[in-house]
This record gives sequence, C-alpha cells and structure tokens, in this order.
Amino acid sequence: MNDIIEMVNVTRPPAWLPWAVQYFFLIGLSVTAFGLSLPGFAYRLQSWAQASRLALLGSLTCGLAAPVALLADLHQPGRFWEFYTHPNLHSWMAWGSFFIPGYVAGLLAYTWAVLRPDLATTAGEGMVAQLYRRLAFGTAHLAWLRNAAAIWTVTFGALVLLYTGMEVMVVRARPLWNTPLVPVQFALTALGGAIGLILVLDLFYRVLDRPMAVRLSGFLALVMLCVLGGGVIWLALGLFHLDASTAVALAILSHYGAWQVTAVWAAVAAALPATLYLLAPVRSTWLCGLIALHAAWMFRWTIFIGGQGVPKTGAGLYGYQLPLGPEGLLGIVAVAGLWLFLLIPLAELSPILGPRQFGHGRRLTAGSA
Amino acid sequence: MVVDLARCIGCQSCTLSCIHENAVPENSFRTIVSVYELQDPGELPHPGEAQQSGATRMAMLPRLCNHCQDPACLPVCPVAATYQRPDGIVVVDADRCVGCGYCVQACPYDARFINPDTRKADKCTFCAQRIDAGLLPACVESCVGGARVFGNLNDPDSAASRLLVAHAEDVQVLRPEMRTQPKVFYIGLDQRLSDKVEGEPTLWRPTPPQEA
Repeated sequence: MNDIIEMVNVTRPPAWLPWAVQYFFLIGLSVTAFGLSLPGFAYRLQSWAQASRLALLGSLTCGLAAPVALLADLHQPGRFWEFYTHPNLHSWMAWGSFFIPGYVAGLLAYTWAVLRPDLATTAGEGMVAQLYRRLAFGTAHLAWLRNAAAIWTVTFGALVLLYTGMEVMVVRARPLWNTPLVPVQFALTALGGAIGLILVLDLFYRVLDRPMAVRLSGFLALVMLCVLGGGVIWLALGLFHLDASTAVALAILSHYGAWQVTAVWAAVAAALPATLYLLAPVRSTWLCGLIALHAAWMFRWTIFIGGQGVPKTGAGLYGYQLPLGPEGLLGIVAVAGLWLFLLIPLAELSPILGPRQFGHGRRLTAGSA
Repeated sequence: MVVDLARCIGCQSCTLSCIHENAVPENSFRTIVSVYELQDPGELPHPGEAQQSGATRMAMLPRLCNHCQDPACLPVCPVAATYQRPDGIVVVDADRCVGCGYCVQACPYDARFINPDTRKADKCTFCAQRIDAGLLPACVESCVGGARVFGNLNDPDSAASRLLVAHAEDVQVLRPEMRTQPKVFYIGLDQRLSDKVEGEPTLWRPTPPQEA
C-alpha cells in the first residue's frame, strides 16, 4: 500500500499543443531532407539526381508548412512580431526566431538556384512556360550562387537543428527532456524520417531507380539502428545513474504501463526497418519509409505531449485526452492538409521533379495553354 | 511568503479569494492547497512481530509561484515578458507575452499556466496590484488559520522574517535541488512532499474544459 494518497491537486494541461509536435516534426524533416538534396544538386552526383529531387520536394514542402504550425501554437499569429522587437537572447527560442527565417529564406534561394537550369529549359509556348523561363533570369551557369545558397542553408539548417534540440534539453524542470540525448535523437529521427519521406514520395512519383531506393532503405535502416542505440544509451544512463535527470525520468516513468508500451513500441519501430531491409530489401522500401516517418512523429509526440503529462510536483501522471478542435486533432489534420496543399502543386507544376513542358506535352495542366 | 503548515486547514479560501481577486478562469489556479493523506511509518517491530502501520494523517500544502530569486522561467522567455521587480516579485508583462508556453515548461513547480481566456502566461503575482496599494495578497488576507504570512524578507522586523528566525530549524523550500532559491518558505513540511510526490495520484481534479 502506498503511504501517500493525493486527495486534492490541480491538473495542468499541456502548454505546447500538437501544433508544436507538427512544427518539430516538419522542421526536422525539412532540414535533414535538405541535406539529402545536396549530393544530387550541389555535388552533382548522378546516382543521387532523382533522390535529391524528391528530397528537395520534401524539404521545401515541410520547410514552408512548419513555421505556420509554429505560429499557430502562439494562439495569435501576429504575436510573432514581439520576437523581433523584444528579443531575449538568453533564450534558445529567441535565437530560433532568427534561425527559422534565415533557414527558410536560404531554402527558397537554394531551390531557385538549383532549379534555374530546369526553369530555363521549360518547353512549350504557353504563358506558364514563358513565366518559368523568365523566372530563371537568364541561362548563365551560376555555380557560385548555388554554392552560396547551399552554404547559407546548411549553416542555418544546422542552427535550426541545434536550437530545436537545445530549447528542449535545457528545461531542467522536465527530467525526460533534460538530457543531451534529446538533440541527438531529434536529429537522428528527423534524418530517418527524411529518408522515409523520399521513399514514400517515390511510391507516388516513381522517379527512383530500384538500386537507389534499396540503397536509401539500407541507409534508413542504419539511421534507425542508431536511434535504437540512442535509446539504449538513455536507458543505461538512467539504470546506472550516470545522469541524474535521466535516472529521475526513468524512475518516474518505468512504473506506468503506458510508458512501458511506448518504450517497446519505439524499440520495435526503430528495429523494424533493418529487419525488413534484410528480409525483403526491394519490396519493403516504402514501408520502411512509412515506419521511419511514423517513428519521427511518435518520438516528438511522446517527448512533448507525454513529457508534459508528468507533473513536476504532484503525484502520478496528468491525464490527456486529444481534443477534437484546433488544439488537438483538427490542428494535426490542418497541418497535414497544408503540407498536401503545398506538395501537390509543387510536385505537379514546378520543375522540382524534372524539367516541365507546358502547352503541348503530357504534363499539360488545365488552363495553362 | 512564509507558510506555517500547522495552521493550514485546507479550506481553500486562499484559492477562492485568489480567483476572485485576479479573475482566474474556471479550471485554472494561481494557487491551490494540495491535500494529502499520509501514512506515517510505524515503530520498528520487536523480533518476531509484524511491522505495524503508523498513524494516518492529513497534510496540507498550499502551492503558488515561489517567486524564486533565480527563476527558471525568466531566462527562457524569448521576449523578456517575464521579469523580476525590484522587490523580488516575478511578474509577466501581458502586453508583451506571446503565449509560447516556454516559461510554463521551465517552472519546476507547475506554478504557471496558459490562461485559456487571454492565451498568455499566467501565474501568482503575490497580488502585486494589492501590494502596490499597501494591502496584503488576497490569499494572505483571507487565510482562516493565519497560515500564510507575507512580508519583506529584507526587513528583519517583518512578521515573515521573525517567523523564519523563530522556526529556523524547521524551514524548508520546495525542490531545493532545482537551485532556483524559492522565496516561499514552509514551516513543518513533510520531506515526502518537498519534491514530486510519490504516491497515489489525485482523487479530485478540476472538470475538463467545456467544448466551446
């Protein structure tokens, strides 16, 4: 029998809503997918050409949708202005407000720089084709522009990964968050998710050749095994009291069945891509991708929504029921819808997946002639 | 603030007066008296005898913002909306607050929340508006047993300072390991309640927010 019964106390609802989960998910995917676009576009590796196009598509769509989710979590988007008029540079979040626009601007500039040749070679005579050719602003080969945009975006992308991890890691009041493994696991799960996104997108756009898809799937399996390794290290830090915060988090959470199930679920999700890769490397690529995407999202859901369910002073756990409105399910669906809204025109109308032909070609779009 | 727990009867009049004074929305609390049923350990058994349970008793623990000298909520605020007044009271500039909730995460006492009406960070201010008018905080004014004592800790003659001196060996703060130097002191705090309580979870919670 427990010698303390909490008779009366207060429940604190989560202050970071599912919008935050969506933001951390999408921005992580965007930055790491951008990294995967570099071999094909910046280093001109022929074997990566198509994979990098899918990576850029994923990076751009996620990078544009993520800040919207973040603004939504402020409850009143106009409040973002305060970040720039009264920045407190002791706060990682304040730094993030400078890193995000720096990254997104760099990503847009990089996208334009690497797609210039495709824009310039748009075939057809319609208005859209002409507009695309004009958007190339000439046909001169501007490698310096591409490289400058890539370096800028790599820098700000790394800063975004750093701040998103540190922002969570420095919260001493939440032992589950207060571990140096959080930034590492955020980055690794995001990388796994980005590779997964390429493989899932390929299911619809079919631009990868099979050897490359299998190669990516192997890379994904390796990343997910690293995530599993990170989990084992976290467990060891807690079990052997090598890190005080981790030990406290483990002591609190290990009592609860829901958290035990979550731990097993996470371990299976991390190990499954490697298993599938070994059993059916060719046929399992998109499934491995889907599992990795799910793992990246679930990791953030568990950290944020699960983590906020641990009272700092009270007994037990706070209950959480996903609201159906904007503060819950609708918010999650809305961000997913925004991502789709960005994906469809960018994939179908822009030259991200290859040069376009308007007016006479097979990729003719309604009303463009 | 000094809280003499032996004088607290858990009547929640502080909770209610705070709600009325500060227009705290339904299901949100700037202060609340947590109530615990504690089983004290029994005496050590003689050889061959079974362990006997000790006495069961109620324990009250008024919780509020601890107005820490080194508050964890202050450096994380991205727009410096949370600040410390010269008298040490930690307050939020609601005009500047963006409702990002980072301070809510950083507070080790779960003392902060996002106000569902304003969508901005909210917390106990020691009723700063009353202090500035020469009054006591509403919770202190309404405390039936006189458990909450408010005063200037820099003034050795204040009631709070004298109480701390008189009970010097029995004064504690919540979660000292967080090194935030809380300025809410407790007299007679059971050690088992000073950190995250390891016990049966809450029997009573506020009702969930109504769907709009």
